[in-house]
Amino acid sequence: MDVKPTAYSNRVMDHFQNPRNVGTLEGENVAVGKVGNPVCGDLMEIFIRVVDDRIDDIKFRTFGCGSAIATSSMITEMAKGKTLDEAMGITRQDVATELEGLPPRKMHCSNLAADALHAAIQNYRSSLGRLVQAESPSALPDVNTFAGEDAFFGKGVYYSIDDPAILKDTRVLVLDSGPASAILSQDLIKHTDRVIFLTAEGPESVRETAELLKQSGVKVLFKSQLEEIKGHEDVEKVLIHDLAENDYYDLVVDAVVIMREACAA
Amino acid sequence: MGVYLDYQSAKPVDPRVLEAMLPCFHMEFGNPSSLHREGDTAAAALEDSRKTVAAWINAVDEEIIFTSGATEANNLALIGYAFRNRDKGNHIIISEIEHISIHNIARYLERNGFQVSRVPVDQYGRVSLRKLEARVTPQTILISVGYASNEIGTVQPIAEIGALAGSRNIVLHCDGVAAEGLLPIDVQRDRVDLLTLSANDIYGPKGVGALYVRKGVRLNPLLIGGGQEKGLRSGSENVPGIVGMAEAATIMSREMAVEVPRLRAYRDKLIAGIRSAVPHCFLNGHPHERLADNAHFRFQGIEGESLLLSLKQQGIAAMTGSACTAKTMEPSHTLLSIGLLHEEAHGSLEFTCGRFTKDEDIDQVLEVLPGIVERLRQLSPIYQGNEG
Repeated sequence: MDVKPTAYSNRVMDHFQNPRNVGTLEGENVAVGKVGNPVCGDLMEIFIRVVDDRIDDIKFRTFGCGSAIATSSMITEMAKGKTLDEAMGITRQDVATELEGLPPRKMHCSNLAADALHAAIQNYRSSLGRLVQAESPSALPDVNTFAGEDAFFGKGVYYSIDDPAILKDTRVLVLDSGPASAILSQDLIKHTDRVIFLTAEGPESVRETAELLKQSGVKVLFKSQLEEIKGHEDVEKVLIHDLAENDYYDLVVDAVVIMREACAA
Repeated sequence: MGVYLDYQSAKPVDPRVLEAMLPCFHMEFGNPSSLHREGDTAAAALEDSRKTVAAWINAVDEEIIFTSGATEANNLALIGYAFRNRDKGNHIIISEIEHISIHNIARYLERNGFQVSRVPVDQYGRVSLRKLEARVTPQTILISVGYASNEIGTVQPIAEIGALAGSRNIVLHCDGVAAEGLLPIDVQRDRVDLLTLSANDIYGPKGVGALYVRKGVRLNPLLIGGGQEKGLRSGSENVPGIVGMAEAATIMSREMAVEVPRLRAYRDKLIAGIRSAVPHCFLNGHPHERLADNAHFRFQGIEGESLLLSLKQQGIAAMTGSACTAKTMEPSHTLLSIGLLHEEAHGSLEFTCGRFTKDEDIDQVLEVLPGIVERLRQLSPIYQGNEG
């Protein structure tokens, strides 16, 4: 083997170092395609403005590795000026070829740019330019108890916190049950640097609360739901359901706060 | 050479070590098992080296088994001990932030009928003694916890874990690789029964390591052959490598008292400098119970491989726990164990300084890193500062 299988071509490095068409678009005849997920390490947004069935302007924003950034940049150059049908015809392989190849491991995970472009075009066609927002699920899931909740009550599961100092230097998960839970989260963050606020809502529907929480240092997990509380003798992990991606993952925490009374009130 | 701040991944061989090794390749090249003069010379070099390495960790020479490196030593310790002592029990405890080699050996043991418990760590990466003790059963024969994390640099309370293991008659294995040369390792003080060491991590050559085996602790060998190393590690001894490891240990014993404070000053300068210049950055690992060489950050909204590539363009070598650089395409298990979300683990960046780090290296990082982070954040759809 003459090069490492992880090495990037000069073309990839050029687009990584000098990405073209970075940014966002707003206004008439604009649509956005989003693919990927920060959980898996890549998140891509491609914005298009369509004039006379052609891509008149195109911008992108990407969180991800070198090839994720380079493929986004590349596809904006390839799609600009094309008709929507022509742009729909651009494949993952076309992008890779135009970049003088991608490392084998990066073909699957990072070459999402074509998918994002296609999603933007589909969103444009289905909504004639308006952004499509997924419907927000309801606040607290309609279940009586969470798996593991009873077993760990008093061992890391709390229904109310009278004195936030008892959770000093622990990792705390607070379930969204309205304003009281948000206020509690802001109190808790004064005693520990790790407070996670879990809400089934999307960022748009709880914008003000989310801003306040973020500014105070609370980490907010949107469109997420608690599935199970796990541990040995006390709480050690929770299983989270990412509703937007329909994905499940473990998160390490020491305490879970479920304020049911506040929710009922 | 550019700015090398990835001493955790590999260290250069100290020129003094190289000098000590050279005669063993062509002048004193004999096989220690041979009865002639060349064999005697090699055997003397081997046994002198064994004494040196033993003294360095407060052990005696017959307790040192030389291996091909830390991975082999970890295999010999866990697999060798578990299979030899199966009649005493089938339960093993490891911590969740062990090196990947320990995790994979544990999975191998599970496939072979052993039960493995994994003890969680707190948000700084420290093993909780209470949670460890809660996992001990009458079947527990072995606990394996590293002296320190090779990734986030957190130092474990090994002496306390050793006391707990001892009081329950359980053997304690410690992977000492991340800590050697940075912490004084003493197998008597810490009551460690099995200790993994690597030569490269103290500026010796790659491909050499050792396992300390406390007298009375019995292991099965993994390599069967001519019965070298008391039958625990057959194969003609790698005398040049072993001599190099001993020379590296000698230099380290002599210079550690000066070297460690110097590294700590570099580390603290990096941490303070990055914190003041880059918004939304967090230090992973323990604020003070951490290795003197380790500065491990996460930057909100950006991904580690992009950071490494950008630093590489500026001639700076660092490390990340992001999935995009891992063979498995999974983010670092260590970062998930301290409670980070995947997206946070992806944004991690680790600097480890070492013997040949200079003031200018740190200055160079502090000069270019804030701009790199800012540029990548401008591209990012999830950086907080870009919203609204």
